[in-house]
Amino acid sequence: MPVIDAFLNLIPVTFAQSLMYAFVVMGIMIPFRLLSFPDLTSEGAFPLGGCVCAALILAGWNPFLATAVAFGAGIAAGMATALIHLQFRLNSLLAGILVFTALYSVNMRVMGRSNVALFSADSVFLQISPAILGSVALQILVFGVLVVVMLLALRWFLATEAGAALRVVGINPDLAPSLGINLWTWTLVGLGLANGLSAFGGALVVQLQGFADIGMGMGLLINGLASLVIGETVVGRQTITRQLLAPVIGAAIYYQFVSLGLSLGLHPSDLKLVTAVFVLLTLGLPALRRGGGTGREKLHA
Amino acid sequence: MAAEVIPERPQGGGPPLLAVQGLRKTFGGGLPGARPALDGVDLALMPGDFAVVIGSNGAGKSTLLNSIAGAFAPDAGTITLAGRNITRVPGHRRAGWITRVFQDPMIGTAAAMTIEENLALAERRGQPRRLRLALDRARRDTYRDRLRPLALGLEDRLTTPVALLSGGQRQALSLIMAVMSRPALLLLDEHTAALDPRTAEIVMQATLRVVQDHGLTALMVTHNMRQAIETGNRLVMMDAGRIRLDIGGSEKSALTAADLVEKFRIDTDRMLLGH
Repeated sequence: MPVIDAFLNLIPVTFAQSLMYAFVVMGIMIPFRLLSFPDLTSEGAFPLGGCVCAALILAGWNPFLATAVAFGAGIAAGMATALIHLQFRLNSLLAGILVFTALYSVNMRVMGRSNVALFSADSVFLQISPAILGSVALQILVFGVLVVVMLLALRWFLATEAGAALRVVGINPDLAPSLGINLWTWTLVGLGLANGLSAFGGALVVQLQGFADIGMGMGLLINGLASLVIGETVVGRQTITRQLLAPVIGAAIYYQFVSLGLSLGLHPSDLKLVTAVFVLLTLGLPALRRGGGTGREKLHA
Repeated sequence: MAAEVIPERPQGGGPPLLAVQGLRKTFGGGLPGARPALDGVDLALMPGDFAVVIGSNGAGKSTLLNSIAGAFAPDAGTITLAGRNITRVPGHRRAGWITRVFQDPMIGTAAAMTIEENLALAERRGQPRRLRLALDRARRDTYRDRLRPLALGLEDRLTTPVALLSGGQRQALSLIMAVMSRPALLLLDEHTAALDPRTAEIVMQATLRVVQDHGLTALMVTHNMRQAIETGNRLVMMDAGRIRLDIGGSEKSALTAADLVEKFRIDTDRMLLGH
């Protein structure tokens, strides 16, 4: 069948793409799962990373430096959400919405217009090897190495004294202060790190696809949550290692589903509805099976 | 009729370890009709004191413990620890000197983490959290040595998530965690109240042992009359946000439940002394 052939041919490209999005899904997992802080900032941190990186590269910056600054911009965005929540006691979801809404204007200012092309510009991939842009196998290799480095770094971090402090803030915020752990510090660290990763993902995507667009974050959070839920269903979340693998495995599976759906004729603009329904079902089904929820935030569970 | 305030308290040499002076706290932002939870509390603990606080519900016992731990700032008054005014020091910074065991076994431990992870967190209390692995072989050996005297078998279950432990086991672990960092002051907030009598006894015996082993100064809130009479060298009774009675030394050791009721005309219903 030509439809299936089209999908099969796309599997490697989709896999390469999903490895970049794995950074964003990790940036969603960290607040939601490790900090019990439903954070929507990545919807703005992802395009922020892309726009900052694109603008700096066009201004003649070294692409590695531009990518690092994009990461830093994401950290700042995450910390802004954390501060709004901590200082003004705003609901974490509302804090995230405020920040990503504000970031839309910031991204527009950073780029000067709603989209910029980088086709003739430098990128980290050109710096490493120009062959990467033309070879899906090389892309998978490069992104795969980056993802493995991220996984190892996070696994190590979470086993450190600092990582344990971050985790206990999410697990038992009543206990943390009596252990001498400052809730503010570790909420800032966690949200900063998470949105730094989302922005890093944005910087990679922009450099690979050769353009940055103001709307590139739209619906990303729901894609990320869908990926996370799929990954947790497949590898579980009983241990830290599994919890860290879930975003990567989940992104890999989710984007193949998307590719399959598009090959089968699903209209791209219907995709968000399908994904939203999917996320609703996966998060809502356990409550239905228990005989109805309590109406409290499910995502904390 | 309320008992007279008894100013007498045991006076050892040297300055008190903990001095609470004129402590006041009203919840509800001063709305009309809001009664003060603490209405001018003065309390001094000498090094090595084990003071037991009793009182009816709403007497201010937990509020006193919470304000010493730094859960909130008092409206007035000062808290001094080893000569240092800590009234405005946030709770997480006091944790290096003051530790506590909560009434609720669910609060005192991190359920989703293992026994050894919980102990490692407690061990770094009062110190910076470094980018170094939280656990190693030497630490695990130390933790086993700390857990063994409990005789609950926890020393063989270091990698078990705390969620799988019973309430009593969690409370015992919480106690070991509280003394891991050698605090100056140990706060015990009805820490055996949620346990069955036998488990409560085990946790209480463990408490007495660690307090003695580490030479700790302790402040324990209890509703249990027998515990109040048998434990510690000081008895503090609170009512309506004030300390009504503070006795120690031989007077405390000679005290019986009947004495308490008769001598100080305590309303037994309100005091819940029947426990």
